[in-house]
Amino acid sequence: MAMPCLETLPEGKMVAHPETSPYLDAFRARAVAAEPSWLAGRREAALGRFAALGFPTRREEAWRFSDLRPLAQHAFPPASAAGMAAPDALAPWRLAGPTHRVVIVDGRFAPDLSEIGTLPPGAWLGSTARALAERPALVEAALCESDDAGAQPFAALNAAFFADGFVLALDPGVVLEHPVEVIHLGRAATPRSFHVRSAVLLEAASRASVVETFAGAGAYWTNAVASIRLGAGATLRHVRVQEEDRQAIHIALVRAALAQGAAYEAFALTIGAGLGRHDILVRFDGPDGVCRLDGAFLLRGQQESTTATFVDHAAPGCTTRELFKGVVDDRAHGVFLGRIAVQQDAQRSDAQQLNRNLLLGRRAVIDTKPELEIFADDVKCSHGATVGDLDEESLFYLRARGIAEAEARRILIEAFAAETLERVDGTVRERLAAHIARWLAGAAA
Amino acid sequence: MLDIRNLHARIAEGREILKGIDLSVAAGEVHAIMGPNGSGKSTLAGVLAGRPGYEVSAGSVFYQGRDLLALAPDERARAGIFLAFQYPVEIPGVNNMYFLRAALNAVRRARGEAELDAGQFLKSVRAKLKLLEIEDDLLQRGVNVGFSGGEKKRNEIFQMAMLEPKLALLDETDSGLDIDALRLVAGGINKLRAPDRAIVLITHYQRLLDYVTPDRIHVLSEGRIVLSGDKSLAAELEKHGYAMLGDAA
Repeated sequence: MAMPCLETLPEGKMVAHPETSPYLDAFRARAVAAEPSWLAGRREAALGRFAALGFPTRREEAWRFSDLRPLAQHAFPPASAAGMAAPDALAPWRLAGPTHRVVIVDGRFAPDLSEIGTLPPGAWLGSTARALAERPALVEAALCESDDAGAQPFAALNAAFFADGFVLALDPGVVLEHPVEVIHLGRAATPRSFHVRSAVLLEAASRASVVETFAGAGAYWTNAVASIRLGAGATLRHVRVQEEDRQAIHIALVRAALAQGAAYEAFALTIGAGLGRHDILVRFDGPDGVCRLDGAFLLRGQQESTTATFVDHAAPGCTTRELFKGVVDDRAHGVFLGRIAVQQDAQRSDAQQLNRNLLLGRRAVIDTKPELEIFADDVKCSHGATVGDLDEESLFYLRARGIAEAEARRILIEAFAAETLERVDGTVRERLAAHIARWLAGAAA
Repeated sequence: MLDIRNLHARIAEGREILKGIDLSVAAGEVHAIMGPNGSGKSTLAGVLAGRPGYEVSAGSVFYQGRDLLALAPDERARAGIFLAFQYPVEIPGVNNMYFLRAALNAVRRARGEAELDAGQFLKSVRAKLKLLEIEDDLLQRGVNVGFSGGEKKRNEIFQMAMLEPKLALLDETDSGLDIDALRLVAGGINKLRAPDRAIVLITHYQRLLDYVTPDRIHVLSEGRIVLSGDKSLAAELEKHGYAMLGDAA
């Protein structure tokens, strides 16, 4: 069946997806920035795709468990100007020790709050807007790539509207000693959306660590897309912390493509946002790559959050290790969709995926769907999912030593979630453990 | 110290296991409760410590004059009751030292004592580890994770030594121990004998009683204490086995 094309639809074509019209109107009304001409064409095309696709519905398997009404019921006009934030707003999110810091407020680079510092030769770090102005060739491919990722209407919307983001590019063999710290802050008195587009481009045998945090205040919508390309033997450690305001909506797509022997080691902590969706798509384009995807989602109140991962073993000899844990309390709803595909030529693939969940609230809900699709014959693959309550015998053991029930439960939940941190290093790990501890203490509520 | 009257208990919505236990333990005493498998020994320990899954259908338990059955398990522990588990639980991700310090400080707060700082805590830990010949590195692991059976049992006695309970209930602490470990565990128990402390040893075998001499021995059979006596009862049981209960009961 042919894809509907915007140009060929009759008048009244928007009726099919009325939820898209505020964005189509905003696109026509927006002030056009000075930018490369290829980009203008892509924005038009991306908007067309968004209009044709509309918002995802529950009829689509990948969105079956998601209730997008909070997003569809209000219009979130794209923020049209740079935002302001006080430096102390960064304090809870800053890493200890030296970093290259990029701060993005309301979807735009905030030069006063950022401190990129000294980079080694062959390293480029800055805002996406600056990359487009100074190094358009560097980002052209990365900014295009994720638009053809199948039916991803929000990625298309992002491609139409994005104003900024960050770009990290390393030449072959360049090693960044200190982590790149990216703090996204959103502010909204009235509903607004921030479309952030970022890229991490590591050439052969280069190495970097990126720690991204999303936080803010108000009923905004963060719609973030990141493209990651790792050259042969390159290594990226990518930690992502989502602690958005509980009134906010967070939708993110991270796509990583790995060349031969590259390693992508990612950790995602999801604590914030009333409605959240985080898609991670990893594709092995060359043999012997390694992908570690770990994460935890901690939900309470009426939060709804989906973590959807897809690792595509398109080349032989690659390894995937994936562990996601969910802690869901009150009436919250957590969803884990984990797909691993092993293509016909991807012999000697080794993939393990595990999703474990703690269901704490009587009205809390977990949907978990691990999937393996294997087309090769010489593979080692396993997957599993569990949903349960705290272990009663462990709880009794702690209480039998004098530890009060609430504290004993806190200790066990913390231990459950902290297992996912085992592969994160040093100071970042401590920071993440502190986020988890704060959630447990209720401060994040 | 402990007064049990006509205690009846059953597995929640299940069959009755304790069918009228009467037992008094005074401060400073060591009592041994023996009996064949399935006689209700572990149920008694569980009911006293507040293990979930049991229902008390009749009777009363008073501990230092308080209605023990009205207290939550952690309140019982803070009031000075310690249960050495027959099967200590492995809790991955919860560091042994962290756990023990949380427990000790909870108990100390309840006793009106100041919490120990890291230095004081470590000093106390070191002394007691030595006593039970436990390697330092075990404490850096998750609670009981990767411990051998004997190490788990020694860890229970080590925790008891740290928490200094008033009433210690040792549920088959001797089972699965080789002779060296049994000596260490017995040494730890003997060290804790004190005029203000009572110890209840639950055991299937009299072997432990060669090292820890009890003041009283009770024989449990089918949910009732069918025989009580002094330490000589152990030797008799050794000679005749639990078969002799046929006559006594």
